[in-house]
Amino acid sequence: MTPSRQTSSDARKGFLSCVAAGDTWRAIQAARALLKEDPSIRQLSFIRHAVEKIPPEKLSLTHFRVALLSSFSIEFIHNPLVVYGLLDGLRIEIYQAGFGQFRQEILNPQSGLYGFAPDVVILAVEGKDWVPSAYHQYLTKRESGFDATISELRNNVADLVRIFRDRSNATLLIHNFAPPIRPQLGILDGHVGIGQAEVVQTLNAALFTAARVSPGVYVVGYAGLITRHGSLHWYDERMEYYARAPVAQEMLGHLAAEYMKFFRALTGRTKKCLVVDLDNTLWGGVLGEEGIHGIALGPNYPGSAYVAFQEEILNLHKRGVVLAIASKNNPADVDEVFEQHRHMVLKQEHFAQVQIHWKPKRESLVAIADELGLGLEHMVFVDDDPVECQQVVDALPMLTVKLLPKHPEHFVRALLDDGLFDALSFSSEDRRRGELYRQRTEAKAFREKYASLEDFYHDLAMQVSFVPGQMASLARAVQLTQKTNQFNVTTIRYSESELTARMADPDWLIATVSVRDRFGDHGIVGLMMGQVSGGEMAIDTFLLSCRVIGRTIETAMLAYLCDEAVRRGVSSLRGRLVPTAKNVPARDLFERHAFRKIAELESGETSWVLDVNNSAICWPKWIQVVEETHAQ
Amino acid sequence: MEQRLKEILGDILDLDPNSIDGSTSKDSTASWDSLTHINLVLALEQEFQMSFEVTEIELMLSFDDILQVVMSRLQST
Repeated sequence: MTPSRQTSSDARKGFLSCVAAGDTWRAIQAARALLKEDPSIRQLSFIRHAVEKIPPEKLSLTHFRVALLSSFSIEFIHNPLVVYGLLDGLRIEIYQAGFGQFRQEILNPQSGLYGFAPDVVILAVEGKDWVPSAYHQYLTKRESGFDATISELRNNVADLVRIFRDRSNATLLIHNFAPPIRPQLGILDGHVGIGQAEVVQTLNAALFTAARVSPGVYVVGYAGLITRHGSLHWYDERMEYYARAPVAQEMLGHLAAEYMKFFRALTGRTKKCLVVDLDNTLWGGVLGEEGIHGIALGPNYPGSAYVAFQEEILNLHKRGVVLAIASKNNPADVDEVFEQHRHMVLKQEHFAQVQIHWKPKRESLVAIADELGLGLEHMVFVDDDPVECQQVVDALPMLTVKLLPKHPEHFVRALLDDGLFDALSFSSEDRRRGELYRQRTEAKAFREKYASLEDFYHDLAMQVSFVPGQMASLARAVQLTQKTNQFNVTTIRYSESELTARMADPDWLIATVSVRDRFGDHGIVGLMMGQVSGGEMAIDTFLLSCRVIGRTIETAMLAYLCDEAVRRGVSSLRGRLVPTAKNVPARDLFERHAFRKIAELESGETSWVLDVNNSAICWPKWIQVVEETHAQ
Repeated sequence: MEQRLKEILGDILDLDPNSIDGSTSKDSTASWDSLTHINLVLALEQEFQMSFEVTEIELMLSFDDILQVVMSRLQST
């Protein structure tokens, strides 16, 4: 065998032995390395076959069921999809609907689609298959106009979504439509009456409208993908006519990567924190050697590329991504740059954690994760030094490490192209998250001053609101169920459509908890969900964001539940605690509030009950309840 | 060359390369269907940096066929 083939064979053996050893993170790392070395069809095929042979309990992968409905042969995406799923900790199982059967699968209540019980359904229909009037029939249809075409699509989509949603709570992802590659009127398109490109744009706008009004329905930016990669590269005419597989093999990886952005957001795998190095990352050159006036940061190349990179990082901050620094430098030098350098876009206040010292970077990263209360798997580390990156990769395999490319003008692509920070919600809490994390650091310092806990609670001047779940808070409530791991008694993850269904059910009580204190308004930070049946209210979900635990807000929440129970004529509250690796802070919730333990399973799960008419739970006197509302 | 082809077939069809011989064919192999056939063709095109005519694709139905087509392509360049 040639030398390269030998290394390849060793690398494959290495991957297989990580799998055999049940080491999830190392197996994922090994698979990633295999793909980096050789991203070919045969390599994807090898890894996919290997993944499908892994016994379900061998690795800690989350089972994720994906249904693909298409108007063309989309089967060729299965290999990259399963492999990319592995890289993000998912064991993807695919249901492939028959060619062109997408309508039947949705309309038929007995279809294989519903039997499969998918987590996600992807509707990948090419525009020319769904709305031929806007494509090859354009010239004929022009005379009569396109109003009917557009309203027909609107109705079609609304009907399909409605019927689908009646039968399934799965998330529905709908491709929007590709721009016409060669408008039939050429350069005249759009200049004589409504152009072909414009019709497609209107259709796509209608798709977004339909998605916005339906919980759990999202548009996959297929048109955007094609625009980025170019129609001429995207389509393969030979395979289109020979195999009804119009998307070029090389492009299917990009489509799979786009799906992964949604899957990550849906399974709580969105990255929440970006940790950056400083030298040759936020500016060109090494600060300790060049000094503040020698580093490259300003209107001329390469400084302009670094300024652009900082601007994109600031945009991430505005989206709700937490920023941190891990750099080997002298703190005084760095302070000087932040305070004095006129071209610094990022300021110290944008960073929730700053680790500047000469110790190994892995220590910084662990400290940052610890201080922020975030898992390492939710962090991305960016550095220009391959040695630093490799050391971190070896020490912390669950962390996503991005080695920056050689030239600063490519940094933005390297950081943003994978959509690691893409989420499926954007609330005011997200916009303010940077500020909220800074408040938390201040609050922590504040706490250290007080001798008595009660003095501390009083001084926090907490104001709490309990509001029944409603559409306006739906996205935030869903986000909380997906992301809250520490103070969460059952860790049940909800999707938008599942939560909407519960909200409409009169036997379910759903309330969000908002907190304001002397440090500011934290927004919605807690969620309670209870089901009433047979004189009992069973607590399904009880969670609090880690930034407000340890201040008796949970006691106020239980007091609210007791009041609600009494109002509904219910005599007892039932709680369930499912212990996980992360929810230690919630483990003693029921015990602390004098619930009686009634069962304990081998798994460690416990059940508790409280007589609401005889309970000792009182509203904490240091908490002011400003708005307590109850569902009618 | 033969070994290289066997390894590619092994990867695409999920077979042990050592179990592949001249008689391994689309008809006789469960995992070799019309879908994996196309994957196989695309993988060969990637590996050898060549592009097959549809007529050639239709002929490459066994290991021996593939060997023949690939060899004749390499010789004509």
